[in-house]
Amino acid sequence: MKRVVFPFAAVPGQEKAKNALLWNLVNPKVGGVLLSGEKGTAKSTLARGLAVITDGQKVVELPLNVTEDRLVGAVDFSRALLDGQSVLEPGILMEADGNILYADEVNLLSDFAVNALLEAAASGRNVVEREGISCAHDSRFVLIGSMNPEEGKLRPQLLDRFGLYVEVEGEKDVSMRVEIMRRRLQFEQDPQGFLRRWEGETLRLKKKVLKARELLPEVSVTENVRNLAASLAADAGCCGHRGEIAVVEAARAAAALGGRKLPNTEDIREAAKYALAHRAGGCPSVVSPVSPGNDDSEKDGEQEENAGKSRSPEDGAKEQDQELSSESGQGENGADTQNPAASETGKNPEDGRNGPGQEEESKAQRNGSGKASGWNDSADRAGEAMDDDGDLQEGGETFLIPRWQEAAAVRKICQGSGRRNLIRSKDRQGRYVRYRPAGEEKISDLAFDATLRAAAPFQNVRDKRDCAVAIRRGDMRIKIREKRTGGCILFVVDASASMGANRRMREVKAAVLSLLNFSYQKRDRVGMIAFRKDRAELLLGITRSVELAQKKLENLPTGGKTPLAAGLNLAFEVVMGLKTREPEADPVIVLVSDGRASGKKEKNSSPFAEALRVAERIGNRKIRAVILDTESGFIKFHLCDRLNEKMRGTVVTMEELRAEGIVEAVRGSG
Amino acid sequence: MEQKKGYCFTAIVGQEDMKTALILNVINPGLGGVLIRGEKGTAKSTAVRALAELLPLREEVKGCRFGCDPADEAHLCDECRERLEKGEELETVYRPMRVIDLPVSATEDRVVGTLDMEYAIRTGRKKFEEGILARANRNILYVDEINLLDDHVVDVLLDSAAMGVNTVEREGVSYSHPAAFILAGTMNPEEGDLRPQLIDRFGLSVTVAGEHDVRRRVEVLRNRLKYENDPEGFAKEYEPKQQELRERILAAQKRLSRVVYSQEIMELIARICIQLEVDGHRADIMMLKTAMTLASYNGKTRVEKEEVMQAACLVLPHRMRRKPFEEAGFDLSLVEEMMN
Repeated sequence: MKRVVFPFAAVPGQEKAKNALLWNLVNPKVGGVLLSGEKGTAKSTLARGLAVITDGQKVVELPLNVTEDRLVGAVDFSRALLDGQSVLEPGILMEADGNILYADEVNLLSDFAVNALLEAAASGRNVVEREGISCAHDSRFVLIGSMNPEEGKLRPQLLDRFGLYVEVEGEKDVSMRVEIMRRRLQFEQDPQGFLRRWEGETLRLKKKVLKARELLPEVSVTENVRNLAASLAADAGCCGHRGEIAVVEAARAAAALGGRKLPNTEDIREAAKYALAHRAGGCPSVVSPVSPGNDDSEKDGEQEENAGKSRSPEDGAKEQDQELSSESGQGENGADTQNPAASETGKNPEDGRNGPGQEEESKAQRNGSGKASGWNDSADRAGEAMDDDGDLQEGGETFLIPRWQEAAAVRKICQGSGRRNLIRSKDRQGRYVRYRPAGEEKISDLAFDATLRAAAPFQNVRDKRDCAVAIRRGDMRIKIREKRTGGCILFVVDASASMGANRRMREVKAAVLSLLNFSYQKRDRVGMIAFRKDRAELLLGITRSVELAQKKLENLPTGGKTPLAAGLNLAFEVVMGLKTREPEADPVIVLVSDGRASGKKEKNSSPFAEALRVAERIGNRKIRAVILDTESGFIKFHLCDRLNEKMRGTVVTMEELRAEGIVEAVRGSG
Repeated sequence: MEQKKGYCFTAIVGQEDMKTALILNVINPGLGGVLIRGEKGTAKSTAVRALAELLPLREEVKGCRFGCDPADEAHLCDECRERLEKGEELETVYRPMRVIDLPVSATEDRVVGTLDMEYAIRTGRKKFEEGILARANRNILYVDEINLLDDHVVDVLLDSAAMGVNTVEREGVSYSHPAAFILAGTMNPEEGDLRPQLIDRFGLSVTVAGEHDVRRRVEVLRNRLKYENDPEGFAKEYEPKQQELRERILAAQKRLSRVVYSQEIMELIARICIQLEVDGHRADIMMLKTAMTLASYNGKTRVEKEEVMQAACLVLPHRMRRKPFEEAGFDLSLVEEMMN
């Protein structure tokens, strides 16, 4: 189905994005562009609109829910069944050859799709080696991606593949916004008429691009230009040479568009703005942690290996350059060799889980230092009885969200909080991305297309009875599905008198609220258990509504004894229940306690010994656990450490949090 | 089995915001659907179904899997276009607008469509088997508890809703077809919110609550019982009102293209959106379109401030940049202030 696309030339504003896109049209060596920014800022409109200003190039879209066979290509089962021929049915990577490949919401793409994309982008070729088909074809394309960083981060390998990076923002100018409305409505009311009205402008732009393309081979790069690019890249702290290559190529494109045969300083500086930001030392907001989980890293390794194999010797000098640069910079081990950014992250495994926090930081700043006034009330209530001399001030304490991510202590907590990424889904939910042979198991989720392809080559020797196809057990393929999940955190909070009596509860609430805030952004699920008096209570079953958890916490009453064992026991039950229902869930227990237990003595066992026993059960089941140790004062019993020996989790102390500025009061306006 | 006559839209007591939002979407399907937030038992589903039933029959290409509109050549599916290009006359039938349900358990292949297995086994050929989005073309797609849908299903849903086209590149099929539907999603905010990115794709949102006024509650009850006892009689009683609304909607549909707006109105909208710091430009565009549709519904051909005001209440609340744990901060008084 053809659809009418809003003309590129008619998009008001967004000059940065337009420049970056045009440079890529003029000079594919720029290496693509990633448009990142808030929703509703014409990212997709610009990308889709590119087609009309090129000379017959298409914008091939990569849908989010693409399956492997359609992306890389697969045997055409229909031809195989009917004609007995093994023919490749080309996938999107072939269609994209010589064209523009546009991936909307590129940060939400399946891992396999990202891998395939990276492989093709690196080698310029797509190799199909499956189902009795063995072939390779060119797959050189301008890669355009768009994403909203709120939705999740991008793998560093993929980010590095984009030559340019542009942050797109909404216009803040009234007349500009009016113009945007006007044009959009005109377009919707009469698309064809609108296209006609903009035909002249579109044609002018198209000519400009064509002229620049013709000029490009004559645009030369002097030693000076190269040096400037290199020094800019070095200043920006880029590793590898991809950054400066992108700068030079983009500057050439800019010069060509301007009708100059030599890029001037302005061209280079302009190009550097787009080419270096995402490669600079602390990458911008869009990078995701390296995929956690063994599966993924294995896959990455495998993929890189394949990429190495498939690369043919005549693959162009540019690629060689990049190879050289990464090889000289890094070791020779597996997935990291090709990719400076990846190994950068890889060096410090603790960085892995939560990724850089710039995005949250900038968001928090926009929101007025991330202050949530709702928190103050609770803190006040909790802290009514306390004095005011400490580092906590009455009315107005809250915690800056970004600190959570920078701090090592928090990393410990969040690392425990499960895999926040794509996981293999074992039930029938999730996105079907690829398949595997069925083996001996009972088949419930048949990948029919793959099964047909597997059966196809044998049809001429099989008895088909009345059907067009004869399928045998060995042909059966099962779907592999991926599901995006957040983490799952079960808070177990000590609400006994000792907590309420001093100001600890106030700190604890604030710290937990900060964690909740973090979960909110990650779309984690949370639950909450409180223990006090004679029992533990499930205040909140596992839910996605982090707001509810926050309300429960605010209104948490304190007092009574400390039935720690009961709290842990309930947590154990909740977690086991969840694991039964959702085998792939990987919840983490966050115990907020000073480790003290009190209450009725069992026959010959103290309440603490009882708690140790439950802790051991949790540890034995390999349930992830973090203890937020709230013990304070001069004399410490380090009970939490003893608990943790059994739970085999991580202990984080309030002091650590305080030292890292997490439990840090920010004076409010009131 | 003969279907029981549905409830009358005009007999629904209260819930004016929801009713208006739904009607506006019917008048102008370009509004991008409505998200209804609220607790259970607040006539959400009843209203959606009753509205579809209220509307007159419309023309469809006979035998088309996507219910193409023969008058709208720009949005014909490939199959209809091919027939047209071969010089075939497209035969038409009259059918009512339907409400297509999308259950929370729906898998992606059921939603977007997939390879037709049976056909492949019988003939060895590929055929696209249409999914829920195909049936939803030109109809209302009703998604109860949309916040509980798998994220990736919601992704494709909203993508299609925005583009009016469903593109399938999976399981051996490569196909695209028209999927222009009115998306009506409901959710109970207590069970977790939709991702902001997705919520932004909904044109309008309304919050419904149970009626707390005793007299109104009694009226709700009385109407319901009357309907259950005698659906036919009930329908007859409300037919004049139904007819009146039907005509009003049809007139508004016709009038819509003649509705004009001034520079001041556009500036006002832009200023409101800047002041409230909404992300991107979708809110501006939606607000203007909603105000135009409202004007048309109100029998006018010029957008005035009151329409902008009303549009703001439908378009902005779910687009406010939310600080975690704060109630969505839509401040109507701020908009009011700017009006004057």
